Amino acid sequence: MSKVVEVSPTTRHEGHTKLVLKVNDDGIIERGDWLSITPVRGIEKLAIGKTMHQAPKISSRVCGICPIAHTLAGIEAMEGSIGCEIPDDAYLLRVILQCANRLHSHALHNILTLPDMYLPGTDVHINPFTPEEPVRSVALRIQKLREIGQTIGEIVGGEPIHPSNPRIGGMYKNITPRAQAKCYDLLKEGKDLAREHMEFMITVLKDWDARPTASVAAGYEVEKTEKFGFHDQGYMAADPLYGSSNLDAEPRWYPERWTEVRPWDWYMGEQEITLDDPNYPNHATTPAGGKAWPQMEACTAVPMYDGAPVEVGPRARLAMFRNYDRKGAMGLQIARQMEYMDCFYSALEALDALDTSGSVIADEIPQGDGSLGWCANEAPRGCDVHLAKVKDGRVQWYSLLVPTTWNFPVCSRALEGAPWQLAEVIVRAYDPCVSCATHMMVVDEENKVVAQKLVQ
Amino acid sequence: MVLGNYKTAVSARAADAEILKCSQDGGIVTQLFAYALEEGIIDGAIVAGPGEEPWKPEPLVATTKAELLAARGTKYTISPNMMLIKEATRSYGLDKVGIVGTPCQMQALRKAQLYPIAMRKVPDKIALAIGIFCMENFPYMGLETIVEDHCATKMESAVKMDIGKGKFSVYTERGALSQIPLAATHKYEQPGCHVCLDYVANLADVSTGSVGSPDGWSTVFVRTKKGDDVWSKAVAAGYFETKDIASVKPGLDLVTKLATGKIDKNKKTVEERASFGVGKGLRNPYI
Repeated sequence: MSKVVEVSPTTRHEGHTKLVLKVNDDGIIERGDWLSITPVRGIEKLAIGKTMHQAPKISSRVCGICPIAHTLAGIEAMEGSIGCEIPDDAYLLRVILQCANRLHSHALHNILTLPDMYLPGTDVHINPFTPEEPVRSVALRIQKLREIGQTIGEIVGGEPIHPSNPRIGGMYKNITPRAQAKCYDLLKEGKDLAREHMEFMITVLKDWDARPTASVAAGYEVEKTEKFGFHDQGYMAADPLYGSSNLDAEPRWYPERWTEVRPWDWYMGEQEITLDDPNYPNHATTPAGGKAWPQMEACTAVPMYDGAPVEVGPRARLAMFRNYDRKGAMGLQIARQMEYMDCFYSALEALDALDTSGSVIADEIPQGDGSLGWCANEAPRGCDVHLAKVKDGRVQWYSLLVPTTWNFPVCSRALEGAPWQLAEVIVRAYDPCVSCATHMMVVDEENKVVAQKLVQ
Repeated sequence: MVLGNYKTAVSARAADAEILKCSQDGGIVTQLFAYALEEGIIDGAIVAGPGEEPWKPEPLVATTKAELLAARGTKYTISPNMMLIKEATRSYGLDKVGIVGTPCQMQALRKAQLYPIAMRKVPDKIALAIGIFCMENFPYMGLETIVEDHCATKMESAVKMDIGKGKFSVYTERGALSQIPLAATHKYEQPGCHVCLDYVANLADVSTGSVGSPDGWSTVFVRTKKGDDVWSKAVAAGYFETKDIASVKPGLDLVTKLATGKIDKNKKTVEERASFGVGKGLRNPYI
């Protein structure tokens, strides 16, 4: 007889989500629903009627962790719609920004995920805030990596968080040779730190994978299952590092393969909570007797690629472009660490190629005729697709398919077969960033809104 | 306290003949920035560089002595130096920024440091702020009218402009000098200058201007710990010739007199503005 347990809210990630889990008598998840309970931001509606210059800046405000990815995806979707090619040097600056964003985001995720892990050879959970060695120097190293990423973002993007420099048609300003040298020095400094850090993280993650039991942070130990966090869904990635847009000679993302269903049709119906655990770490689970109604409470649509959910993120990129094949929650975590070095080498290469006196703005910026433009930017957490239609310089239609939206249904599948007490470890492996993943437009083949049930 | 807080006041001029050749008075700003650049106290300075039109300055981030030299001399129309303060720390990649400005620009700078709204990661990168004495400023078209119409000199021909001893003077490259009484220029002043209650850049690290010192020399107020540190090192290293301010004519008395004059006059404007129109007085920018 299966029971229903609810972990709400889940912790140590961006945004608000909860887990509604159907578990068997052994506590193994039979069906897992992981859903966003972050309220809808309404960015897509806000953008309509705004100028094409304004909309990407608004959409970047959806969150403060990957605003660079949202800015770039938004801008390139607009450029895709109006058919504007940007100068090479502007592209190089954007690549540097992309690397800086991925670097500081991955480093931040390490802080969030480390409390689940153990110091190898001991049964002690890692507390990244302890003043004691060896963890202290790891924390300092993470901070240094984040500082490097954000400083480069600040120099190239104009702001440490929401970049002001990218614009439709390229960038507002090129950087000076001095700034170029400064970025170069920072990257050279960070490169060696990152290699050390990557190796440390992979050791820790593999150690976790090899343990017979584990616990969430300071909670109690539970026996792990084989194939922890495995799922059978496919992967989707547009590029190993940067992205793809409809202006590419060979686009690597296909809007016609994308469909969306309502959370109403995807998540479980109303459930009575029949299992609770007052000793669950951080906070108790929801007391038994309460109700959970995932299909009504979820604040995302469920995007599909070829009619099925797909995983996006570091593992999807490595799997599609480098034949990476490690499955499970730790497979995804390890893939994330393996992306560190690419951030550095790609940024260094772009800096080398950058001509600081080159023009960074297109000579002509068309105003658009309302055709569809899209950009699939490989944000730290995965493929961030923005789609837009611009006519006479104004946004007519704007849609954001952000990484964690793609990952919600996949991760829900990956929960199956794991002990429910460790479900959060799987969720955190996806590095969820939920603020932007609140997307509610569901349309049928004739582009009519069919999500009426939600609005009732 | 019309002269603000200061640690020391001296009369000084640059020791570098090249700087003095084209400087307004004592070449203090150029020399102090040049020293700070050489010593790594700053890695760039925002100065009033040459613009597209003659005597219309444009803010410039100078990272070499040559760029500093190109920005020598006073331009009597505004150079919006604060415009670059953020950009200097971004695409210019500076960590230690120097900036020169009028008293109002120093106020803007300190306000930005105190309330860094839209100025994230900027306040801690201000390494040296040099203020210049300022009685008032002209909009570019006003300056053009003064020089071209009143002084009958083409803007392109002017090599130096100066205000002193009650006169506005324009020197041309052919050696001609054209002077008009300062009173004739008052109507071209920017109205905003008439509510300013600061003559000697009270909020700068170091402030300087010609008033109070003999020709070719400048009066220098060293105001902050940071300013004192840079100034005393530069003097010790022989970058400046200095004279005791008490020993020179006309000395601090004149500075005090002019500062008091400006402040008293402008206080009246502020008061008048409070009851300007019917029931819609203009705000006092100082409260």
